[in-house]
Formats: sequence, structure tokens, C-alpha cells
Amino acid sequence: MLKRILNIFARDLKINSREFITLYMMIIPLVMAVGINFISPGINDTTVNLALVEDENPGQADYFDDFAHIELFEDRQEVEDRVMARDDVVGVLPEGGGYYILAQGNELESIVEYAKLLNVLYESDVQLEDARSEIIEFGRTVPPLKKRLVNMLLLLISMLAGMLIAMNILEEKMDKTVSAINVTPASRSAFILGKGFTGMFIAVVSSIACILITGFYDINIGQAALVIFSTTILSLIIGFLQGLNSNDIMEAAGSVKLLFLPLGGSVAGYEFVAEKWQAFFWWSPFYWAYKANDNILSKSGTWPQLLLYIGIILVICGVVYALLAPRIARKLQ
Amino acid sequence: MKLLSSFKKELILVSRSFYFYVELGFALVILAVLLLAVPENFSTTATQYLYLDLPQAAKEMYVDTVLESEPGIESEMVEIEADGKMYDAQLITTDEEEIYIVDSEEAVRKLAYDKQNPGAVVGLDDNNQLNFKYYLQGYESTRLKNLISIMFNKDIGMLEEQIGSQEVRYLTTGFEPVSDRENTIPPIISFSSGLMGMFILASYIFLDKKEEVIKAYAVTASSVWQYLMSKIFVVSLTSVISGLIITMPVMGFRINYGLVLLLLLTTGFFSSSLGLLISSFYNDLMKAFGVIYLLMILFMVPAIAYFIPGWDPFWIKLIPTYPLMQGFKEIILSSGNIAYPLYASAGFLAGGIVLFAVTNIRFKKTLSV
Repeated sequence: MLKRILNIFARDLKINSREFITLYMMIIPLVMAVGINFISPGINDTTVNLALVEDENPGQADYFDDFAHIELFEDRQEVEDRVMARDDVVGVLPEGGGYYILAQGNELESIVEYAKLLNVLYESDVQLEDARSEIIEFGRTVPPLKKRLVNMLLLLISMLAGMLIAMNILEEKMDKTVSAINVTPASRSAFILGKGFTGMFIAVVSSIACILITGFYDINIGQAALVIFSTTILSLIIGFLQGLNSNDIMEAAGSVKLLFLPLGGSVAGYEFVAEKWQAFFWWSPFYWAYKANDNILSKSGTWPQLLLYIGIILVICGVVYALLAPRIARKLQ
Repeated sequence: MKLLSSFKKELILVSRSFYFYVELGFALVILAVLLLAVPENFSTTATQYLYLDLPQAAKEMYVDTVLESEPGIESEMVEIEADGKMYDAQLITTDEEEIYIVDSEEAVRKLAYDKQNPGAVVGLDDNNQLNFKYYLQGYESTRLKNLISIMFNKDIGMLEEQIGSQEVRYLTTGFEPVSDRENTIPPIISFSSGLMGMFILASYIFLDKKEEVIKAYAVTASSVWQYLMSKIFVVSLTSVISGLIITMPVMGFRINYGLVLLLLLTTGFFSSSLGLLISSFYNDLMKAFGVIYLLMILFMVPAIAYFIPGWDPFWIKLIPTYPLMQGFKEIILSSGNIAYPLYASAGFLAGGIVLFAVTNIRFKKTLSV
């Protein structure tokens, strides 16, 4: 049995490597991981953007530069034009010996308040050297946004695995080889597992590579691999069913789009929805996977907690499989 | 005439396909999620832990000042857990933050570490001046840390008074912010309609290539561009319908649907033409997968700038979904700038025409790859 599963897996891997699809699926997440490394420092450094008139008060520009992003413009009109642009930039302009804040009117209140505070501190000559506060840091270097992006990337990888499985099945269908499996010594379960192995293997390898590229060296890789593995089981079931249900690539493409919904919804629900409404997302295995990954990436998860989340994912996968098994069996006839 | 006939045929074909109904079903599911599961406004309260190492009278004065600063601020005694230990705390909840006032510096340190929120200890120095000790995670930017370190160098009362009297001039007035639910529509429409147009059209062409429909066109009276354009029309029409299904029930009749249609059609045209161009280089979807997938990811990046307006680097404005999302945002804002979606539509139309012309030349030369 195991040998036959491995044969199907090896055959799929060989075919996929000829199509470059496996390579794409392994490389794309890595490129995205590098992209996350590239953009997250800039996003994390965002406080407030100030527009000033160049050479009007170089000392003020230097002072503000310690607390905010500064852009310098030739005259007031240019500052005004910049403030009116689409992003949130606030101007600080001189008048009658003092300075006023120039805002577009659609900025967040906190941005204008930040600019007001900075100007007051500058006008009061409060210098960094006179700081009276002590800052103690816990030494965490990964900003929360980066953690979220990596977490989303991990879910996306497991979905990609589902897509790959769907496409592999579709290829078998188009080559009219699905029914031929019935006359080979390989059982139906061996066929399903063998077909699923490629996606699962790629998902686990790519996910671990992405975790390392994005700098999460000190998390528990074993815990992460367990969560990835459990999420991929769901992708396997869905991918398999999509492949069997679709008659051509168009239909498979449409189905893949449907998968984005529970994934995106679960992430948005976990991040943005108040605690009392979280129960609305408990049905989604992606929700539990995101929650489990969040704990792992924050290094705040305990084994019992994690095993509970993985258990929930597996139970949901089991229910989905139990519901879909007759359909899969019928389609394999 | 031939174009119209091809379009009709494509419409009939698509109305019989699974994809069309998935597209509509997807729009309905998104709508249901938006209306039933997404709250009008997200909960975005910041949490902090505070220990007031001050005489009892000063502590009470601080709490009273916070409670009286705005109407509706609530206070209650709670227990909060960190690292397996329970701590008593007075929880003060405002619209924007939750402040837990605890009984020891140890509690602040443990809570700040365990819950990954900032903590602060307020005490008095030898000169009876307030001093502050902050517990931060370490990933906060240097600029933010600089501000925190000097923020309370001035007397708090005087600081608040000066900030209150600081003059702010606004260039526009009457700005009414949209709700968080409405604010999620532009990125959803961009991904659902704009992005997927590229993927779906490329899939369409690959399917036709596989079935050799494209080669059959060589022996018909219809020209290649008409065949390609009819595909674009169908995909654009599908995106318009699904876009309207999501937008209309949420936004009602408060927005300019002429602009919505214009932007949906032009972006549909642009992304479909891009999908066509990609499909002209490959034989099947599997081979084109990498390019399509990378483009889809790239097109998603402006969503970060959309939700974090303070982060808006120049390069992100070059990605087509940036003007698409911002254009939709202008349309749904009551005080939005009408010129922006018009310019964006003109840009998408021009870009789409160029891409279409290039694709047409490629298809005419090869009829296939």
C-alpha cells in the first residue's frame, strides 16, 4: 500500500517538475517571504508624515526628523499640494513667529494630534537629550504586521497545495486516466493519498522555508509543521473534490476563487472582529489555523492549546471528508 | 456586427457554464458576509497596562481625571491573567483604549510581556517630578521610542493646554468618514472583479487553445480581435454584475453608479487584456501559472497602503490596483474627488487599449503560441 502511494507521489512529482508548476509553487512563496522582509520595516517605521518648507527652518526639520518622516518643498503652495495628495501627510507652516498645522481634513484624528504634539514639543524646546523617561524593551524584533503577513502566507501556501492537487486530478481526468485506476493494484485510498502527497509535501517544505526566510528562527518549527500539516489536509480534500467536480480548468479556477472566501474571512474575523463575535468563525479550519500560527509566531502558545486547535482542525476536516467521501467515491467510478 | 454576434455566442456559452454561477454565487456570499458577519465598525481598541507608583491621593486624582475626560468612559474591577498568574486590575475602557491599572510594577512587566501590549510605570523622582518607565516589545520604531521618551518632559496639564490651543487649518471641510464595512468594499471589488478578470480570461483562452477553438477562427469570417474582444466583454460584464451585487446593497443609492460602472468596465478591460497578453505567451494555464500568480500577489500589495494611509511609498502607486482601490474609495466617500476615478478610468482604458493592441498583433501572427 505504502509503496503504491509513494509511486503515485513520485510520479506526480516528476510530472509536476516537468511542468514547472511545482517549482513555481515552491518559489513563489519564497519570493513573497522576501517581499515581506522588504516592506515590513518601512511599514513599521510609519509614525506621521510631515511636509515643511525647505530652508525655512532647517533646525526644525532636523528636530522633526527624529520623530516623523519629513518631506521638504520649495514653497507653501507645494506643501499645500502635497497635503492635498491621497495619502496622509500633514503640513507645518510658519506664520507670525509661530507655526500652524495644515491638514487636508480627511486624516485620522490621531495623525493630526501627533503633529500638534510634535510642534508643541519643538516650540517648547524639549530635546531628546533631556528625556526623563526610561524605556525597557523585551527584545522582540518582529513587528505584528510582519507576523500577520507571514501567517497569511502560510495559509495561502496550504491553499496553493489544494490548487495543485486539483490541477493534478484535472489532468488525470483530461487524459481520461482516473477510471483506469480501478484496473490497477492501487486502491482508491492509495490513489487519493498518493495524489495528495505532492501538495502536502510542497506545502510543508515551502512553509518552513518561508518561516526561516522571514526571520522566525526561534519559534517551535515542530509546532508550526503540525499546524501546516493539519491545514493542508483540508486543502487536500477540497482540492481533490474540486479536481473531480471540474470538467475543465475554467471550472477549477472558479472553485479556487471560492476557497479565498473562508480564508480571507477567517483572517479578517480573527484580526478585526470583537471577541464576542469570534464564535461566528469557529466553523472555519482556517480560523483555527491562523489562531494557532499566531500563537506559534508570537511564541506565546502552549502545547495543550496548540493540540486543541489542531484537534479542532482535524475534526472539521474529518466532518468535511465524511460528508464528501461518497461523492469522491462516486466520481472515481 | 460580427463582434456582436461573437459576444452573444460567448454570453450564451458562459450562461451555461459553472464559472458564471460561481462568480455570481461568490458575489452573493461576500455580500452576505459583509452584511451579516462584518460589523459596521471594527473593534480597534489599544490596550495598555499601568502601575501608578504614587501616593493614594494622586492615584485617585489620575483615575478621576481620566474618567471625567470624556462622557461614557467606564471603570470596573477585573482579574487578568499573565504567565499563569492572576492579577487584580481596575479596567478603564474608553472608545479608543483599555487601560488596566494594576498594583505592582511586576504585574505591568508580566502583562506587557505576555500580552504583547505596552506597559508603563508612573512614579516620582527625587525632586517630586513625575517620571515614567515604559515596557515596550522591542519592535517599535526608533522615531516612536524617541517621542515616548520625551513626551512627558513637560508638565502634562501645560502640554494638554498648548496642544489644545495649537492652530490647525483644514484645506477641505465636510469630510464624512465611511464605516469600516463600507471601507472594505474597494479592496474586495479590486480583487474579486479586477484581479480575477486577468486570471479568468487567461483560463478561457487556455481552454480554447486546448480545444483548438483559436485555430478554427483562422477559417471563419471573423477576425481575431473580434474573438478576443468578445471574451473581454463577457468577463467585464461578469465583473460588473458581481461588483454591483456587492456594492448596491451595502452602499444603497448614496454613490454615483455611473462612476462605479465606468471604473468596473475599464478595469475589467485592462485586467482582461493583461490576461490575454499573458495567455499569448504560453500553451496552458499550468505554464502561465507562475506569472499570473506573481502578478496577483503584486496586485494585492496596495491593499496594505489602503489600510495604512501613512505608508504610501512611490513604487506602490505604480501598481494598477492602487488607483483602482483609491478610485473606488473616492466614489464611496460623500466628499470624494470625482476627477480621480475619471483619471483612473482613462488610464485603465488607455493601458487596456495598448495591451489589447499588442496581444492582437501576437495572436494574429501565431493564432496560438
